[in-house]
Amino acid sequence: MNRLPLKNILPTSIITAVAIAAILLFPACHSIEKWESDPQGNFDALWTILDEHYCFFEDKNIDWNDVYASYRSKIKKEMEADEFFNLCAEMLATLRDGHVNLSSPFNTSYYRKWWSDYPQNFNKRLIEEHYLNFDYAAAGGVIYKELPGRNVGYMRYSSFSGGIGETMLDMMLYGFRETDGLIIDIRDNGGGNMTNVEKLASRFLAERTLAGYISHKTGPGHNDFSEPFAYYFEPSKRVRWFKPVIVLTNRSTFSAANNFVSVMQYLPQVLIVGAHTGGGSGMPYTSEIPCGWSVRMSASPVYDRNMNTTEQGIAPSAGCAIDLDPEAEAQGIDTMLEFAIILLNRLAQENKPDESDRGSRSVGTMCDVGNPSAPVQIKALSF
Amino acid sequence: MTNLRPLLLAAITLLCFFFAEAENKSEYVTYRPVLSAYTLDIGTAHIADTYLSPLRYNGFSTAFSYERMQAMSFNPERWIMQLHISPEFARTLNPARNSYIYDLNIHGSWAMMARFRMPATWLTLMAGGSTGADLGMLYAPRNGNNPVSAKASWTVNATAAAVARFRLGRLPIVARYQAEMALAGVFFSPSYGELYYEISLGNHRKLAHGAWPGNYIRLNNYITTDLLFGATSLRIGYNNYIASTSASNIVTRRITHCFTFGITTEWLSLPLRNTSRFPSADARIISAMY
Repeated sequence: MNRLPLKNILPTSIITAVAIAAILLFPACHSIEKWESDPQGNFDALWTILDEHYCFFEDKNIDWNDVYASYRSKIKKEMEADEFFNLCAEMLATLRDGHVNLSSPFNTSYYRKWWSDYPQNFNKRLIEEHYLNFDYAAAGGVIYKELPGRNVGYMRYSSFSGGIGETMLDMMLYGFRETDGLIIDIRDNGGGNMTNVEKLASRFLAERTLAGYISHKTGPGHNDFSEPFAYYFEPSKRVRWFKPVIVLTNRSTFSAANNFVSVMQYLPQVLIVGAHTGGGSGMPYTSEIPCGWSVRMSASPVYDRNMNTTEQGIAPSAGCAIDLDPEAEAQGIDTMLEFAIILLNRLAQENKPDESDRGSRSVGTMCDVGNPSAPVQIKALSF
Repeated sequence: MTNLRPLLLAAITLLCFFFAEAENKSEYVTYRPVLSAYTLDIGTAHIADTYLSPLRYNGFSTAFSYERMQAMSFNPERWIMQLHISPEFARTLNPARNSYIYDLNIHGSWAMMARFRMPATWLTLMAGGSTGADLGMLYAPRNGNNPVSAKASWTVNATAAAVARFRLGRLPIVARYQAEMALAGVFFSPSYGELYYEISLGNHRKLAHGAWPGNYIRLNNYITTDLLFGATSLRIGYNNYIASTSASNIVTRRITHCFTFGITTEWLSLPLRNTSRFPSADARIISAMY
């Protein structure tokens, strides 16, 4: 019998080893949990996804195991899709979170109590008719105009998903340079892109500014969170604004809009006027259950610069809480907007700037409106 | 540094051995043709990525592959090199068939293998190491803030091949089985629930992970048969790719089974203006594969 020469044993062994590894590795892939696609399997998948990714169980004092025990017993092997959907939606509502949705082909669940239990405090038609006279500039998701006879600039940004152009901001801010101040109306702004938050906020920053902190889950445990990471916004290199700013808010100011408020509230030239915001400070994360319905939930908590959670919303500045009076509304008056206008006019009177601070300061072709080295400290003024 | 001295000595000795061997065999002129293969892979893809979804997705996979093999100059009888570049695309559906995950990836690797002629002259075995990188992403358009799972890795691999030469009737055929397995390296993975937005804000902590077979399994199996019709050969075969990673409680699994077809050519570059350098009668032409 011929024997394999010694020098050929090595390659033969290597080939054999790699081939055996190929066979062994196939089933050795890392395991992934699998659920049945019946109602019970889908329910278990939904509960588990939330259990492992949702980030506010502790903050809201929710016993998710109790929730499982309450709802799992109601799930039957044979259920109609809409019956199953409604039960799941009911379970998700226990999280009291506007960022939690279950989306099926026939319905999307929403928790609405974060705004439905409060006055709406916003009437779009009223503003367009009585303050803008249906005549305003519009670009991307923004409409703006200097309010006639009030010497105040007004911009309304209805969604942070809408585009916000740099040129538009340049034109708008420079156009408002002679006014007493700027109103940014983000009532009913349900959020959108965080990048638009930075783009807008950077116009009001004199220097690199701590915007807040963000954290994320590091594992499936309810308390598995990363060290909060400080994130900063850079000041814009284009037209910036250092005269008084009022941000108008209501309960439907949510998510990215809530984050915008959390950054703006600490700027010296800014006041938050109106109603408590809706919150929504958890960055949403999307997953799905075996039947193909997608589920969205808060997964990464965002904190303000003082490490306060804003999940439950942000209160207006001291002395600046105001609702829309329905009787005045019927007469074409937005009491929240009026409050902001009068406040800006008064602030301008009380805080008459030096000639050097008035108007614009040229920087190349661009300019700063107001003085970036000494923005108006309107929080220090009485009103 | 003291600990490295034996390793350095071993490396220098090994290099001396290679070049000494090359020196011995430089009495005759050798030519090392390049084997180039251009193939298209079409087959099935099976993808799971718990960062995007807990469900397993299935669909089709396609890839264009370029493979280049050549005997190495310092010892062409024994050592060969292999370059492999492959852009890949897969489109997969979830079990409910209402959501897609797309897989875009480019793979490149460079291998160096020793060739061992077996007593049975129709069989050659090759074994060696390779290093390669993968760069790509899984994209789930339905996911809002987490639509992408980026993939990047660099690994050092073990690779081995068996090449058989035979005839089917009058048609010469070269069949090959090659396997490549990742041994160590580094790969990218975000943390469990970390959104790419947070990474874009500058949080780059714990994104790189050391790879070893416990957390990074990757295996490529190639079976090719080259039908040598003439100067150009027809290549048909099967390509299987298995990858499974586990980092930060995120499991990613990508498996493809593909039918491969394409062409292979072997070519020599010769200086047209210097015919004296054309292969003479006693020149040796050493193919990488055959």
